[in-house]
Amino acid sequence: MTQLTGLGRSFTRGIAGLAAVGLLLTGCSSGSPAASAPASGAAAKFTVGFAVGGQPNADWQKLQGDVAASLAAARGWGYVQLSNDNSEATATTNADIFIQKKVNIVMTFNGQPAANPVMAKKYKDAGIPVVTFDIAQPGWYFVGVDNASAGTAGGTKLGELAKSKWNCKVDMVISAEGTSSGQINTWRTGNARDAVKTVCPDIPAAAYVSYEADGNLTTSLKNAPGVFAAHPNAKNILVVGINDQAVVGALQAATQLGRDGSIMGWGQDGGLITGKNVDPNLVGSVMYFLESYPADAFKIADQLAAGNAPAVKDTGDNAAVQIKPCPVTKDQAAAIPSIEARVTQLGAAPAGTTAYSLFCKA
Amino acid sequence: MQTSPVRTADGSASGRQDGSFVTDARDRTGLRDTLSILGVWLLLIIATTVVRPDFLSTQTLLAVTFTMSISGILAVAQALVVISGGLLDLSLPVSLTLSAWATVTALNNDLPTWAAIFIGILSGAAWGALNGLIVVFGKLNPIIVTLAMGFGGLAVLLLLFLSAQIPSDSDLRRFGLGRFLGLPNVFWPMVIVIVVAGLALSFTRWGRRLKAVGGNPQAARTRGISLPKTRFFVFVGAGAVAGLAGLCFAAVNPSFTPASGADFQLNVIAAVILAGISLSGGKGNLLLLLLSVGFLSTIPTSIAFFGLAPGWSLVLQGALLILAVGIDGYRLKRSAR
Amino acid sequence: MTAPALPTVEVSPVSWGRRLIEKFNGPVGSIGVTLVATLVIGLAMAGPMFVSPSNINIVGVSVAVPLIVAVMASFALLAGVVDLSIGSMVGFGAVIFNQLVAIGMNAWLVAAITIVVGVLVGLINALVIVGYGAEPLAVTLGMLTLLRGLSHVIVVNAPPSTLIEPLYDVTQGSIGGFPTLLLIGVGVTLIAAGVVSKTRIGRKIQAVGGDDRAATRAGISASKVRVTALVLSSVGAAIGGILYVGQLGSASNSLGFGLEFQIYAALMIGGYSITRGGVGNPIGGLLGLLVVAGITNILNIQFFDPDYLDVIVAVILLVAVLLDRVRGGDSFE
Repeated sequence: MTQLTGLGRSFTRGIAGLAAVGLLLTGCSSGSPAASAPASGAAAKFTVGFAVGGQPNADWQKLQGDVAASLAAARGWGYVQLSNDNSEATATTNADIFIQKKVNIVMTFNGQPAANPVMAKKYKDAGIPVVTFDIAQPGWYFVGVDNASAGTAGGTKLGELAKSKWNCKVDMVISAEGTSSGQINTWRTGNARDAVKTVCPDIPAAAYVSYEADGNLTTSLKNAPGVFAAHPNAKNILVVGINDQAVVGALQAATQLGRDGSIMGWGQDGGLITGKNVDPNLVGSVMYFLESYPADAFKIADQLAAGNAPAVKDTGDNAAVQIKPCPVTKDQAAAIPSIEARVTQLGAAPAGTTAYSLFCKA
Repeated sequence: MQTSPVRTADGSASGRQDGSFVTDARDRTGLRDTLSILGVWLLLIIATTVVRPDFLSTQTLLAVTFTMSISGILAVAQALVVISGGLLDLSLPVSLTLSAWATVTALNNDLPTWAAIFIGILSGAAWGALNGLIVVFGKLNPIIVTLAMGFGGLAVLLLLFLSAQIPSDSDLRRFGLGRFLGLPNVFWPMVIVIVVAGLALSFTRWGRRLKAVGGNPQAARTRGISLPKTRFFVFVGAGAVAGLAGLCFAAVNPSFTPASGADFQLNVIAAVILAGISLSGGKGNLLLLLLSVGFLSTIPTSIAFFGLAPGWSLVLQGALLILAVGIDGYRLKRSAR
Repeated sequence: MTAPALPTVEVSPVSWGRRLIEKFNGPVGSIGVTLVATLVIGLAMAGPMFVSPSNINIVGVSVAVPLIVAVMASFALLAGVVDLSIGSMVGFGAVIFNQLVAIGMNAWLVAAITIVVGVLVGLINALVIVGYGAEPLAVTLGMLTLLRGLSHVIVVNAPPSTLIEPLYDVTQGSIGGFPTLLLIGVGVTLIAAGVVSKTRIGRKIQAVGGDDRAATRAGISASKVRVTALVLSSVGAAIGGILYVGQLGSASNSLGFGLEFQIYAALMIGGYSITRGGVGNPIGGLLGLLVVAGITNILNIQFFDPDYLDVIVAVILLVAVLLDRVRGGDSFE
């Protein structure tokens, strides 16, 4: 160890040199590059803080950020983007950063909302208005689908199909849950399940089975086979779930076990209902055009920037911007372009166009 | 890291010219390990059958064999690394996902199936080679290297793609949906890989060299085996096997994301440990690996039959792992006395 | 009976500049250098705002809980045992604390219960690892899975929200511009560092981690040391869980998942080894965490893709172990 003492001495000198250079640079630098607002920003330009969801299995979350960035650029506003990294701890840290940056408005999709009350307190104390996508929080502008009604809409459509095709003779109703999403799961999956029950009340209670799909196809496909094996006599099967990925996982498991003779799944979020490789048993989904949420959020931002803060409407049924869910069957979805194409088209459309008006052909 | 089995130089004393380490004591423990895993598996099956007599059915067989297919192949990759004394390879999920993505991209660009398969396995091997290079040239601990590469690799994958879909009309996809001899198609590559690797480990010079390097690296070196070369090729080989797992993964998952492979990590390591493959290297029986993968894959199905919440599946897997290594350690202590 | 006379040691007055330089050669030194480099880069890229009180607050708050968990887990590393279950224990502890407080039980009582659970988990780990001689990596991996499963079983729907004012003030408040929690964390680190380098207990732990057979011969009970280290590790995680609930107001069933890898990466960057015990100083761990948090912060406030962070951390981790090996640490053959 001691033979490195000489090295140690040069380390010390090296650090002193580095520190000097650093201080010099600090003095010369005018601060951070264009992307973020200057630190002392009272009269600075209007800045949007955007926190993307960061869930690794959801491509629309990254695209939300892209759309928001271009909307901000079009208005000549400042724009700061962070990722919530699908963690409530990171989301809370992001709140601190946005407050430090003195952004004028925060838009966020936070898939782990457990810490929202704490963040709401911080933002309130800092006087920063917040737009939240899909997950309501008292005091925050709610832009999104009413997940509860989206769940009910999907379940109702599926139930109606079961009624017309099978006369409501259903042997099993599978719920592909995503429990770590908490309330959203209860709304989407739970309400879909209840809606099926409403349309076809004679399905026995024992026929309702849940399993953990964790909102992604791989985990869903891993856990679903056991469910099918455990109910070997179920012929007519319905599948609801927290999103398309979860539902398709169950449908694929059915195919692998040869149980897809008479099975129908209705998804949520429309992630796997468009394109060339739609699962044959995914009969429909509910599209929210999540990638276009920022367009609606920016409407609120526009009003704020003009000095007319709109009233804070913060719940699903009393929303600042209520996104209409678009339940689509597979055939209807065939006419809807892919998510990337939709982002491009929405960007080219005149300001104020909603994705629903552009794409919901149902 | 605390290593419990006391590795003595006995291996070299009874070693033959070819460097094999077979001793009587080891054969006996192999049989006992087989019996104990079989025993626990049987216990689980009996317990489930008592509660639900319809547990013993083709549906269950399909469910279990399907669930164990991809983990099984990946477990072989991990086992090769562990047996060769490489401690653990924590970046196998990256090899798997990289291979799956490369294969799917090739297919989406209308390349023929055989080319896509080749590209897939090659990608897995390439990632393994990268890991191997860093371990060998840096002389660094493989756990740390592969931990870092696992982090970094995932990030690179996220920069490469957000989601990937295999063309539904491709041969590979049709393969993933089909069956052979009543069992899912993807089950058979796993069986072949385990059997081939197992035979190779026990009966070929390559296999014996691998075990020698794992069991007693100093002795192996004095016998002229090049440690760096062996280690490097083990990582490449494990990467290639993980690439094969990636192919099967792409075949059965119509849509996947960069993080999809991470699911397999803990399960595969647990399978390797349950199979009695010591993390100190040198010994390992792939037949036991087949049994432990099968056993672990039966648990989620059993839980479904019991009607329990799915979280209990994880609880049971964790508890069984602790129990298994506890019993293992206890037996070792008792025999060492 | 008098103690045997110690051999006389020639103590030459070493200048403390010399001692400072020698400190740079150790793992703590080189991570210190990395930290300074990070500071310099941060200053260069973001200006003086990088070291402003509000930014320090942000970095500090995000680092505080992992720091406390890391310091408690570092004793296990020092003693030569890896505890992979700390992340899931943080989550499980948080879930228990959150759920019990939400149904109205007294917060102090619930905190005590959570810590007792931590002790139990640590004892189970210790029983199998020390008592039955099982591989620590394997046992704690099993415990990780088990605890995660339990969290999933308990939290199926939206977890309740528990905003405990006094706890919130401690976890989110600040004293003299520095986050209270960070100060507590740094305090714990300094105490731990003191224990490790100055007390006999610390030397015992290092001895057991370095060579347990030699330690046993010297009369140290290796099992007792290891058991204590494992219990400390789990209790630290339980406390981390409680603090997280204080900070975030709730606990989802995936909280803490993956935390162990972040913590061990930071500890390794800071000079610990997961393959050999006996090396490492809690201060190194603190610096390692700060480096990672600092880089995260730079990337965040400079609008870089957070995925790049993982690549950078991976590179730093590799460089750190390379340096460690160059400095004379074990090389892997």
